[in-house]
Amino acid sequence: MEQLVEELKKNIIEVLNLEDLQPDDIDAAAPLFGEGLGLDSIDALELIVMMEKNYGIKIKDPAEGKEIFKSIDAMAEYVAAHRTK
Amino acid sequence: MTERPIYITAATHISMQQPLDEQWLTEPILHTEPYVRSIDPNFRQWLNPLEARRMGKILKRALVTASEAMTRSGINNPDAIITGTGLGCIENTELILEALCRDGEQTLKPTYFMQSTHNTISSLIAIHHRCHGYNSTYSHRGVSFDAALLDAFVQLSLGDIATALVTGNDELTPSYFNILKRLGYVGNPRQVPAGEASAAIMLATEPGDNPLCRLEQCRLSYGTPPLDTLPRDVDTVMLGINGHDANDELYRQIATLYPDATLLRYKHIFGESYTASALGVYAAAAIVNAGVIPAAMSLDGKASSAAAPRRLLVVNHSDSRCLSFTLLSKP
Repeated sequence: MEQLVEELKKNIIEVLNLEDLQPDDIDAAAPLFGEGLGLDSIDALELIVMMEKNYGIKIKDPAEGKEIFKSIDAMAEYVAAHRTK
Repeated sequence: MTERPIYITAATHISMQQPLDEQWLTEPILHTEPYVRSIDPNFRQWLNPLEARRMGKILKRALVTASEAMTRSGINNPDAIITGTGLGCIENTELILEALCRDGEQTLKPTYFMQSTHNTISSLIAIHHRCHGYNSTYSHRGVSFDAALLDAFVQLSLGDIATALVTGNDELTPSYFNILKRLGYVGNPRQVPAGEASAAIMLATEPGDNPLCRLEQCRLSYGTPPLDTLPRDVDTVMLGINGHDANDELYRQIATLYPDATLLRYKHIFGESYTASALGVYAAAAIVNAGVIPAAMSLDGKASSAAAPRRLLVVNHSDSRCLSFTLLSKP
């Protein structure tokens, strides 16, 4: 799981072009939206695309997305359980 | 049309010369490579990283030059923001097309999609500065900026608006350069470098404290170039000569109409691009304001003995079909 958390951090930095951040700067338990990283709705779309492209996970239910993208830890748990690639 | 005086109250650039600076007046950087990308300033002085992370280079450059023109002119909320761009956000357009070819339509990045349109540039400037007035984009190959400038000129002359920010923006990717080179448009021996352009010019019907120059006339025509309509009572003419015979022939004809004027060229300093004329008008405004003619821009060797320009005509054309001219004068 630790390896997946690191991989997700790197992917998020690359996909969202957070060029000032290093993986170690991101708290895996912190909220991704609002506080924490301060991501917004366009970032949410980017993360949905990234989940499908990298892990074969299609997120269709917005309510489900809210839980999945709560934090990197939450994303990692969901990816580990549902990934198809 | 009502004859209202129109002034250029500020103008700046990001190009292959030192950005946001008039160092090229005395010490131009002379590039010899066929393809030169712009020299970027440190964007973080104007944009915070969180805000800038979704912007391609063309958007950052457009926003910085626009912001600088607003600051220097003291006009923070122009009545109109009008942009000319030949290729728009071509870098993001290429990225989304490459992704389409590679991954299909299912997993396209929304940011590239949103920022691959031509009118993203003008709208981003407006959103960033909360300018809710007239906002428009012109994309007409080599006269894109000229069309934008004409729009502002007409609206200012009619009294519909009192201030307008006119910008010209283009970026050039390696792949697009290679396409243009294969077609023979750029990269030929003796031709000026292909480059990128970002220029922002603030126009106003009030001169403000320190206007660069007056914008007296602005015309754009399509078809057989109506050379008889070019103003003759000028002391300096700036031409878009680029070293390519197909482009330069019309300029050579125009040059013969002005045997007594000082003839200048600018594309060997600022490069060739679809919006090179934006840099031409910017450079002309800076020359009229400074009252000096850089020797490096002289076409006929008369520059060193020429008096400070008082009426400077900038002539541009696209494929010898669209002819535009812009007449600037000392206020």
